[in-house]
Amino acid sequence: MNTTYKVNRLKVTNEIRPMVDRHWSELRTAKERGEKVGWASGPSFIFPYAMGMKCHFMAGYASYCGGIGAAEELLKAAELSGDLPETCSYHRLHTGMVEAINMGLPINKQALLPLPDLMIAGRYCTEQSHYSESFNRRLGIRVLPLELPFVFREEDRPRIKKFVSHQIKDTVIPTLEEVCGKPFDYDRLSEILSVLKKTASLRNQCWEFLKTKPACWTLWDYAISMAPVIYMMGDPAGIPFYERLLKELQERKDNGIPALAPHGEKYRIYWDGWIPWAFLGKFMRKFTPSGAVCLCGRYPWEMFPHPELLDPENPLESVTEWMYGEHGLAINIPGRGSLRFIQELVDKYSIDGLVMFSSKTCRMWNLSQLDVIDALEKEYGIPGVVIEADMIDPAMISDSQINTRLQALFETIEGRKKINLNN
Amino acid sequence: MEKVLSKIVEITSDPYTFVSKLKEQKQKKIIGCFPMYIPEEIIHASGMIPVVIWRSNESITWGHAHVPPYDCGITRSFVDDAVRGKLKFMDGMVFHVRQCLQIGEFPLIIERNVKPEYYELLYLPPIYEGEAIKSFLLADLKFFKTSLENYTGTTITDDKLQQSIDIYNKNRTLLERIYELRREKPELLNAKEVMQIVWSGMLMPKEDHNELLTELIKGLEVKNSGTGEGKIRVIPVGCLCQTPQFDILDIIEASGMIIPDDDLFIGSRYFANKVSLKDNPLEALADRYLTKTPLCPTKGVWDINWADEIITKMNAVNAKGVISIIVKYCPPHACYYPDFVKKLKENDVPEVMIQMEHEVISLEGIKTRLQSFVETLGGKK
Repeated sequence: MNTTYKVNRLKVTNEIRPMVDRHWSELRTAKERGEKVGWASGPSFIFPYAMGMKCHFMAGYASYCGGIGAAEELLKAAELSGDLPETCSYHRLHTGMVEAINMGLPINKQALLPLPDLMIAGRYCTEQSHYSESFNRRLGIRVLPLELPFVFREEDRPRIKKFVSHQIKDTVIPTLEEVCGKPFDYDRLSEILSVLKKTASLRNQCWEFLKTKPACWTLWDYAISMAPVIYMMGDPAGIPFYERLLKELQERKDNGIPALAPHGEKYRIYWDGWIPWAFLGKFMRKFTPSGAVCLCGRYPWEMFPHPELLDPENPLESVTEWMYGEHGLAINIPGRGSLRFIQELVDKYSIDGLVMFSSKTCRMWNLSQLDVIDALEKEYGIPGVVIEADMIDPAMISDSQINTRLQALFETIEGRKKINLNN
Repeated sequence: MEKVLSKIVEITSDPYTFVSKLKEQKQKKIIGCFPMYIPEEIIHASGMIPVVIWRSNESITWGHAHVPPYDCGITRSFVDDAVRGKLKFMDGMVFHVRQCLQIGEFPLIIERNVKPEYYELLYLPPIYEGEAIKSFLLADLKFFKTSLENYTGTTITDDKLQQSIDIYNKNRTLLERIYELRREKPELLNAKEVMQIVWSGMLMPKEDHNELLTELIKGLEVKNSGTGEGKIRVIPVGCLCQTPQFDILDIIEASGMIIPDDDLFIGSRYFANKVSLKDNPLEALADRYLTKTPLCPTKGVWDINWADEIITKMNAVNAKGVISIIVKYCPPHACYYPDFVKKLKENDVPEVMIQMEHEVISLEGIKTRLQSFVETLGGKK
């Protein structure tokens, strides 16, 4: 008899939306309070935070727009400003927002931010800085650039770490001091890291409940809970949130309540690439009927996976260590580093199959995905598929293509499980 | 002159065979440099032959198993060539992994499937202000030099590097002379020939190319040719890092337009800016890389405008319009494009955009657009 699967929703995650609404509301009203506003791409927003600036985070803004259903109208506004549809949809959200402000277009007001005093162009992905450069050309907004290279080989890491550290001291801190008219606030940076360390430690305890069989929660639950360990870092509200989440997960485990009713998941899936922020419900509905649960992925796992390495007493070193330490996020995106990181996740979370979410407009997480599938299939005998879509742009989503590939994946997993049983 | 041109056509018609034979004839190692900014002079000084990796004219086959269809033409074509074994004559490959995101595809794919004997990655940074950028760039160039020395077992002395820089600078001077002649007499060469002249230099030792160019220039200087009277002068812009489809250039000319100058990578962008003669040749190479013009959207430059550069170029040759050739799925160019075209409009400069795909390309559609563009420009000869 076929099992009817249903998601057991967590109660605590309902608390996230008011928290992120508060965050973005404070940003929207910052200028009214005479506060400086920044826009940041890449993992560079921590520096303006330390200076007390209200700062947006490019990917965080995109996830928020996806969550409040404002993405499509912003993308249409971007088209009006001449953007080509093949360019990064995060980039287009921003050009769309500025176009909407300038033209007075009737856009969801929650998606409209004040224009920044400074754009911190963290060039992590080489394309992330383009919108900052464009707004300088269009509006004259000052740009603070920061080159943050991916690390393709372990042997390159020390010299790149030194380079990034040099840029922070040489350019980032002096510019922020100039814009804010005060010395860089190392004490505040330490405080942010202290809160973050505690929040991320609690979050890591929660991750343990993704390893259980059956899993007590899912990647999607974690995705919507990520803000306190990324763009809301330093906000003390993140600590009680994760404490309550941890408590609920423990209760689930104690009471035998799995993430997927009635008896837990049939397939444990690794999810590669961006979270499809504007389509979370759509994707959940594609996995659930087959008893498949996504449990981990590189992108959500790059947010301070080793909080024990955060040292608030040495804040600048901690920040560069987060990016360029032995487990730094810059080594998880391309080449061998990505393969190693995914291998670790596959092992830790007892994964049955891989779904590589390939964004048609942002290739950051797409790099060598097909070779990653091939390598992991050869090593672990687990299958993988690529699904081609976008994290924000509905024009890039083909339901039938996604359905077919997921179905093929589940059938392959099932087939291999049978072969393994017979052997 | 005709003999030189035929040789150039032969070379660029089948670069695979030409470079393979070159390796045999010269008994030297071939190092493939993924365009656009690998400092070839250092490879040249190491005694090897740097060649600039090109986009093939074949459809993608095996490459589909490694890269998605929404990567740009040269990314997919290079991976396809590599995994099909068509680039086995390359003893080494070098990638500038921070030029654009898609170059990040290569390291794992090449390492796993077809790793050559020599393989190096450069992180050349964007042109941002500050000492950190300059010192990292210089360190990256030193790292590259050491890596080549370790591979070849020979020391690249400052003298050797300076000699290579001189040869490259001479090549730039000769190409500039050809462009100067073209600006004076735009009918001297057609656009495809000009592109082939530049491209052929990317496939052979520059000293050999210099010989070809010297002979070619002698012929061009005395050749009687029209100035393009009655034709509409236009400047093609873009096609960063890869060859445009020859057909597009032919259609431009067949539509009644003429190209007295260009802003293409396989064109004026490649040989722009000589390396200055300094005591420290690596510093001189770094200085060339840090030059902001011709503006490149991969280099993080925002304080000057690409469109301003093009307007200056147009005015110098009395051009009446701009043809933007954007490689499909080239985000640096695509992201810059709205600002570029807006600035042209503000200056009343007519522009048409052609998006170039690697495989499926509707030449009829392009022809129609270009014919309409010519009609738009009709009153502005």
